[in-house]
Amino acid sequence: MRKNGASEKKNNEKTLHFFGLKELLPFLRPYRGRLIAMIILGIVTSVFDTVYPLLNSYALDHFITPGTLKGLSGFILIYILVALLQAADDYFTMYSCGKIEMDMDRDLRRASFNHLQTLSFSYFNQNNVGYIHSRVMSDTSKIGELVAWRMMDFVWNASYLIFVLVTMLVMNARLALPVILMMPVAAVIIFLFQKKLLRLNRQVRELNSKITGDFNEGITGVRSVKTLVIEDLMQKDFEKDTKEYRRTAVRTGHNSALFTSLVTMISSLGLAVVLWRGGLITMEGALKLGELSVFMSYAVGMMEPMEFLIATISALLAIQVNIERFMKLVHEESDVADTPEVVEKYGDNFHAKKENWEPLQGDVEFKDVSFRYPDGDEMVLEHFNLKVPKGTNVAIVGETGAGKSTLVNLVCRFYEPTEGQVLIDGRDARERSQLWLHSNIGYVLQTPHLFSGTVRDNLRYGKEDATDEEIWAALKLVSADGVVKKLEKGLDADVGEGGDLLSTGEKQLLSFARAILADPRLLVLDEATSSIDTMTEKAIQDAIATVIKGRTSFIIAHRLSTVVDSDIILAVKDGRIVEQGTHAELMGRRGYYHELYTRQFTEEM
Amino acid sequence: MKTNEKKKYTRRSLLLFFCRGNKRWWLVTVLFALGLTIFDLISPKIIEYTVDSVIGDKEGNIPAFLNAWIAGIGGRDYLRSHFYLVAAAIAIVAVLGAVMRYAFRLTDQIAAEKLTERTRNTLFSHISHLPFSWFSENHTGDIIQRCTSDVENIRMFLSEQLVQLFQTILLIGLSIYFMLGIQVPLALVSAAFIPIVMAASIAFHGFIAPSFMKADEMEGELSSIVQENLTGVRVVRAFGRERYEKDRFEKKNAAYTAHWIRLMGKMSAFWVSGNAISTVKTLVVVALGTYFCVHGSLTPGGFIAFISYNALLSQPVRNVGRIITQMSRTGIAIDRLCYVMNAEEENDNNKALTPPMDRSITFDHVAFSYENGNEEVLHDVSFTIPAGKTVGILGGTGSGKSTLMYLLDRLYELPEDQGSIEIGGVNVRDIDRTYLRKNIGIVLQEPYLFSRTLAENISIADEDADMDAVREASNIASLDEAVRRFSKGYETYVGERGVTLSGGQKQRAAIAQMLVKKPPVMIFDDSLSAVDAETDAKIREALKDKLSAATVILIAHRITTLMEADEIIVLSNGRVAEQGTHEELLKKNGIYRKVYDMQTAGLSAGEKTA
Repeated sequence: MRKNGASEKKNNEKTLHFFGLKELLPFLRPYRGRLIAMIILGIVTSVFDTVYPLLNSYALDHFITPGTLKGLSGFILIYILVALLQAADDYFTMYSCGKIEMDMDRDLRRASFNHLQTLSFSYFNQNNVGYIHSRVMSDTSKIGELVAWRMMDFVWNASYLIFVLVTMLVMNARLALPVILMMPVAAVIIFLFQKKLLRLNRQVRELNSKITGDFNEGITGVRSVKTLVIEDLMQKDFEKDTKEYRRTAVRTGHNSALFTSLVTMISSLGLAVVLWRGGLITMEGALKLGELSVFMSYAVGMMEPMEFLIATISALLAIQVNIERFMKLVHEESDVADTPEVVEKYGDNFHAKKENWEPLQGDVEFKDVSFRYPDGDEMVLEHFNLKVPKGTNVAIVGETGAGKSTLVNLVCRFYEPTEGQVLIDGRDARERSQLWLHSNIGYVLQTPHLFSGTVRDNLRYGKEDATDEEIWAALKLVSADGVVKKLEKGLDADVGEGGDLLSTGEKQLLSFARAILADPRLLVLDEATSSIDTMTEKAIQDAIATVIKGRTSFIIAHRLSTVVDSDIILAVKDGRIVEQGTHAELMGRRGYYHELYTRQFTEEM
Repeated sequence: MKTNEKKKYTRRSLLLFFCRGNKRWWLVTVLFALGLTIFDLISPKIIEYTVDSVIGDKEGNIPAFLNAWIAGIGGRDYLRSHFYLVAAAIAIVAVLGAVMRYAFRLTDQIAAEKLTERTRNTLFSHISHLPFSWFSENHTGDIIQRCTSDVENIRMFLSEQLVQLFQTILLIGLSIYFMLGIQVPLALVSAAFIPIVMAASIAFHGFIAPSFMKADEMEGELSSIVQENLTGVRVVRAFGRERYEKDRFEKKNAAYTAHWIRLMGKMSAFWVSGNAISTVKTLVVVALGTYFCVHGSLTPGGFIAFISYNALLSQPVRNVGRIITQMSRTGIAIDRLCYVMNAEEENDNNKALTPPMDRSITFDHVAFSYENGNEEVLHDVSFTIPAGKTVGILGGTGSGKSTLMYLLDRLYELPEDQGSIEIGGVNVRDIDRTYLRKNIGIVLQEPYLFSRTLAENISIADEDADMDAVREASNIASLDEAVRRFSKGYETYVGERGVTLSGGQKQRAAIAQMLVKKPPVMIFDDSLSAVDAETDAKIREALKDKLSAATVILIAHRITTLMEADEIIVLSNGRVAEQGTHEELLKKNGIYRKVYDMQTAGLSAGEKTA
């Protein structure tokens, strides 16, 4: 892993010079042709922008100054023609730009999302949901915008400036010179201000998120705020933050106001210079009035493209972070991966080769297993041995956060042992694919997680091709059929985002049905701690009793009844298994399990 | 802010309320906007004069007094020989314009930020004075969104959209005025295009708005698929449904992309037709202008000025539609804030009392049910806690023991006909809320630590407390050992953005927090649950001296924690099931006895085997 990281870093350093665009090449390649077309269209657009002032000056010099209307209709026709061509060009430029952006966004999102489906749990434990989510949704759109619009801005504005300069030089080099001299001055001012504004804007954003954090604290901590009577203190501190925010925002406003005013002033000063020098030349008769007006238009119109150009460069620099983060995600290697041989025989995460799959019997064995979490530095299991024969019920007990999930994580191969082996039906779990194992396990989570969609969609999560008969049978088995019958649309009822339209108890029951739909030999249950009403509670207890019968099961237990009847009880404290045995044995030992059990009893009386 | 403002806000009154105290800033902003627009429009005028009357030889189309003044200094010949004066005039206008632009944008920003600050402060204060029950009825995320993005929306409405609209109207009015001064027919033709462009812009934005809303919606759906996939990663993996997720995502991903591409098509078409109208307008101005020039009713300088004015107008007029569409969304934001601002704050009686608190506490026939639940949590609960005594409460999950404490502290108000809670014979309802809470210390089972240092957290309720007090309290709460393990000790930053403490450490920090304050009534709401039995005993031992004068309510599950209390109450399903001293309750052979046997049975069994 470490070696990998180092080489990745080296890679980044090398490509830094290309604004990270080189890493994006694979994503750009499909749109090569369209990108080139877009660049050409952009250049054509800037030609049109350069031409309009020339047309106006033509009217001045050929009709107004000589005082004739001869040829005006031809002029109007050409004008219309140019306008039509420009309209067509504008349309295609904008549309192709937008289309490339959207297509790129889609590809980047797809690549990151699909890659996430192959990553192991350690990745998800080390990166929180919000962080990963913004990699998939927000970095991608920033990159897409950069490639399409920013690139377009760059091409368009750069070529516009070039055309304008060339036209001015051709028309009158003497008058062009002061305008050209003005450009570097303006460029420096723009650059300095944009750098400063970038920094200030970041500060404003940080302060803003601090204030959001304050709101969050005031709301989630409201019980403590009230019982401690510290409303005034909290208010005082909050007002300190909002004051600081206002000051920084006003300072930012001051700088940006100064920036805009200066830039506009420079372009007006450019206009003054052009009028002064140009007026003199015109009076000498060396410049036509129309040409003077062209120069004036250019002097005023040059500032905006310069601003855009420099903004584009800043954006290219700023987008680095997004590209790097995105690339890091896409190149992230999974801690748990199937070997090529296994993939060859059993298929990968997305494509199963079911014809080669053996049925799972349900014998599980931990053989000399030592385990350390990839982000931890302590061994939580050392030379652990445990045989769980087919049909055995294992209960794992311990306090919240004690590390009860470790064993389950190993059985499900969400993690792999640091040393030793987990055997499934006598063979190392790594000898068969993850998908094979997971397709054969039933899993019920502590907080029942449903996906938005219908009840049927959610239940079929357990078995893709389940018929309605099978679904109803599973529902009946765990007494969840009542829940579905109560819904107006039955299996077709929408469960809402995260199943929010159902109660926790109902979600729990459905997740039981989902777990046993495929009639798995191996069952993993994480019992709910949240309180639900007594009737549902009873139903769930019964459901557990029913489904574990005859199956190998691992239960992360919180309820007495489940624990007492288990074949093996493992008590976990501070991440380690401290006791192991049956209920009677452990009670007699009067140790940790005893304390846990008596406490539970009191709570549930 | 503590006075309870009974008035309900409407959209208009809320907006005015937030703007209060800001009127002068807005007025100044408006004046600067006016100045700025005038200066922007003067330059073309100077150019017109220069082209016609300095380079050319026509009578200057400027106010008479200016003409007279110029004639006074030497007229056209003087200006021709001192041509730099013309440039200087443009430069002066440019500098003055820049000053106006700067002042306008700065004052606008100041006004906006003052408004934001005021709004946020008002909201924060209002929210922290809302009754506790309000927070269980509203989602945290939703409240935060109202306080952040909706406030931002209103800020944008006032400081950007309204101001831009105002600026556009000024620009249109003044430029028409200037153009009319040059040549009336061409000015009228130019002006005629403005309503056309504006109407097209408004119509288009109205037409495209649903598409944008659909896009937002689709993005939301796509985003929530990612969210669900990430939060449900266990389920996805455990059921081996990576393929399904991939397909599900791809379907939405493709649909979303296709929608945007269609939208881009519409946008491009709008953009292009806007450009086309502009071009047609310019063409008409150029062609007609040329015609007028040749016929002598327009000067070449006037022609150039017309083109400049038309260029200045084109973008702002096209933006009107966008601004108006955005403005229409502000109504929703204001409504959402009205909802928060119209929630009623906690309130006291007019003549709230501050009686001595070191008196007996009486619960008299207390019954209670939460607003959102239909089941009664407490039924007819009566007992008395004598002043300075310790009462233990034993009860299972849902037995109502925490609710009792919340009622005592008035986190929830006991309805008048549901019994009474009295301290020294005074109903808590009549006691000043702040006074009451300051004198009752509660250590919660899941205490909340604020984003500050550990020392600041411990002394948070008593600003006068020094480090010694903090240390002493931590010692008693057995927190000192944990503190020593942090490299920064008491200066360790905790809370959301700091070090995460374990449940037991948090509970001990909360105990220290209360000990610093030393209130006459102390409540431990199952606040040693995450601490092991040994530490529990140690803390209780250390607490004994400290608590002697205080009235203590001790809620716990461990008999060893409770047995030394002066009186023990057993709550079951919201009723007082048993009451008495440890010995009395043991004799009763009820719930308490059962729990006691359970907790000690292992002990004896263990002793037997040992």
